[in-house]
Amino acid sequence: MASFVWMRLLESTAERYDRGIELLSRGRIGSVHRRLAELATADAVGARVLDLGCGTGGVALACAARGARVVGIDANAAMLEVARAKPTPDAAAAPVAWLELDAMELEDRFPPASFDAVASCLAFSDMAEDTQAYVLEVARTRLVAGGRLLIADEVVPEPAPRRVLHALRRWPLALLTYLLTQTTTRPVRALPARIREAGFVEVVEERLWGDAFCIVRARAPGGEGRAGAAP
Amino acid sequence: MSALAVLGGLRDTLLRMLPHRAPTGLRPIGRPGADAAVLVTGNYALTVRRLQRALAGRDVWLLVADSRGINVWCAAGGGHFTHHDVIAAVRAARLSERVEGRELVLPQLSATGVERRRIEEATGFRVRWGPAQADDLGAFLDRGRRVVARERAVRFPLRARLEMALIWGWPAALLSAAVAAGLGGWRTGAAVAVAVLASVTGLYAAVPRLPLRGWRRWPLFALFGVGGIGLGTLALAALGGIEGRSWAVLAVAALVADAALAVDFEGTTPWFVSSFAAAGHARIELEPERCSGAAECVQVCPRGVLAMDGGRRQVTITDPDACIRCAACIVQCPQDALRFRFDDGSVVEADTIRRTRLNLLGRRSVEVDGLRGPGA
Ligand SMILES: C[S@@+](CC[C@H](N)C(=O)[O-])C[C@H]1O[C@@H](n2cnc3c(N)ncnc32)[C@H](O)[C@@H]1O
Ligand code: SF4
Repeated sequence: MASFVWMRLLESTAERYDRGIELLSRGRIGSVHRRLAELATADAVGARVLDLGCGTGGVALACAARGARVVGIDANAAMLEVARAKPTPDAAAAPVAWLELDAMELEDRFPPASFDAVASCLAFSDMAEDTQAYVLEVARTRLVAGGRLLIADEVVPEPAPRRVLHALRRWPLALLTYLLTQTTTRPVRALPARIREAGFVEVVEERLWGDAFCIVRARAPGGEGRAGAAP
Repeated sequence: MSALAVLGGLRDTLLRMLPHRAPTGLRPIGRPGADAAVLVTGNYALTVRRLQRALAGRDVWLLVADSRGINVWCAAGGGHFTHHDVIAAVRAARLSERVEGRELVLPQLSATGVERRRIEEATGFRVRWGPAQADDLGAFLDRGRRVVARERAVRFPLRARLEMALIWGWPAALLSAAVAAGLGGWRTGAAVAVAVLASVTGLYAAVPRLPLRGWRRWPLFALFGVGGIGLGTLALAALGGIEGRSWAVLAVAALVADAALAVDFEGTTPWFVSSFAAAGHARIELEPERCSGAAECVQVCPRGVLAMDGGRRQVTITDPDACIRCAACIVQCPQDALRFRFDDGSVVEADTIRRTRLNLLGRRSVEVDGLRGPGA
């Protein structure tokens, strides 16, 4: 049954998202956005980049700042409104095309080989596992041969002592963030394996922040010439 | 029911205000064949559990979509459960390969945020609105997947009301009791818990008979608050803790807790507009020239506000006072014939509502066409 006070809190989430995620990442989220943008635009100037689950637009805007032509998709209209309200990083950059679209609806809007890179930050942890698998497969077909996939997300540290330490450190932050924004994140599991299963090659996982965060790089198969430019 | 299930149910009920996720995906109930009905719901653990109970003994598919662990009504109203999530669920489950039928039954109460036509365009499945209450699903299926008018209304039976009293009452009682115990000893704390729970339970029990519109609700809330304190006093006396200071602590703590709950008591019922609602002063309006008589609004209105005028093949607004501004009708109308009109004459059209989910809850933090909610 209805409890509207609760709903009221939920509704203002998007406006407060940036503050919440800043807190939860202890101020480091911006550097991840920039790093993803660097990797996404490494091959070509003016690359076509998709920011999958762009939310308030962190990755998309960082890519635009590097001269990419960016499409940002998100299923959450309220998050997109926040993204739309942000200025383009510099006057020369092409404006980002913001689109209310679920990752599962990519195939309805974009023909195969529409993008040179697909980047995504903290969106996969928002998806159910069956959704992740489906989205990865569609993302591969929307990339050009040799196109780049870049996913940054939260993971559980592997060594047991670290895992405990991490959990202890994380929960007060998570609680605080939850109270502020009514959102929380859940770590992704077995992402590199799932990416390989979806048909990507050259899958490389990089761990940062005490093993609690990952950036996974991969490529769509084909396009051998481009693979030489791998970092 | 196993002890585990009882415990699980209890936990879900007590923690109802917090999201509680069930796994998403397609689940068989009984032994559904490829042509069995596909019922869609959100992944709120309590709902999934109840649906499984309500559908026991039948053979149907349950497609659990991602509503972020929130119940369908709140999730759809708050923009957390939309057609995107249903489309995602259909695709992730590879539904078109697993069933032969091409029809989805959606919970009617998701109509504030789930746009029927978008799902049909993207998936090729037809969408049919099911009943508002899970309890009626059995009858709905027996009738050949047809809803009768009375099943479209949100009901709020005594059991659900008492449950709501518990959900809101126990954290308030616990908190105020802890404070009161600190100030006046454990007996005072216990008496405060009694007072708060009693007034809240009384309010929810009586809500169908209370004229809760306008200023008249405040003396009513006060009356129940004082009644609760009366019972708390009896409890305090029974515990042998009565004296001036402890009674004063009891009265103040109970009144503060009651007042906090009263701020949006209406909003916790499905029958009244939340007192926080930006759309609270709006009226539902129909533009007759646009109405084609599709009557989708009639199918999704949970308050029986709209009716089909068979003679004119058009919809009419028959009971505007019952409207809770949920905007389900506006969102679903294929002709954009419905909209909200505010006291100052401004209107909010369907397109804006679909984009911003300006339903009864409103979005106070965003300005919409010059319109600003009270909290902004
Ligand atoms: C935690 S936010 C991350 C936002 C942004 N990428 C950032 O790094 O700040 C996750 C976003 O992913 C979006 N999202 C999750 N699952 C999605 C899906 N299946 N399709 C589209 N967007 C999705 C959510 O709506 C939300 O805005
Ligand atoms: S906005 Fe009013 S008329 Fe429209 S569906 Fe909701 S209660 Fe019914």
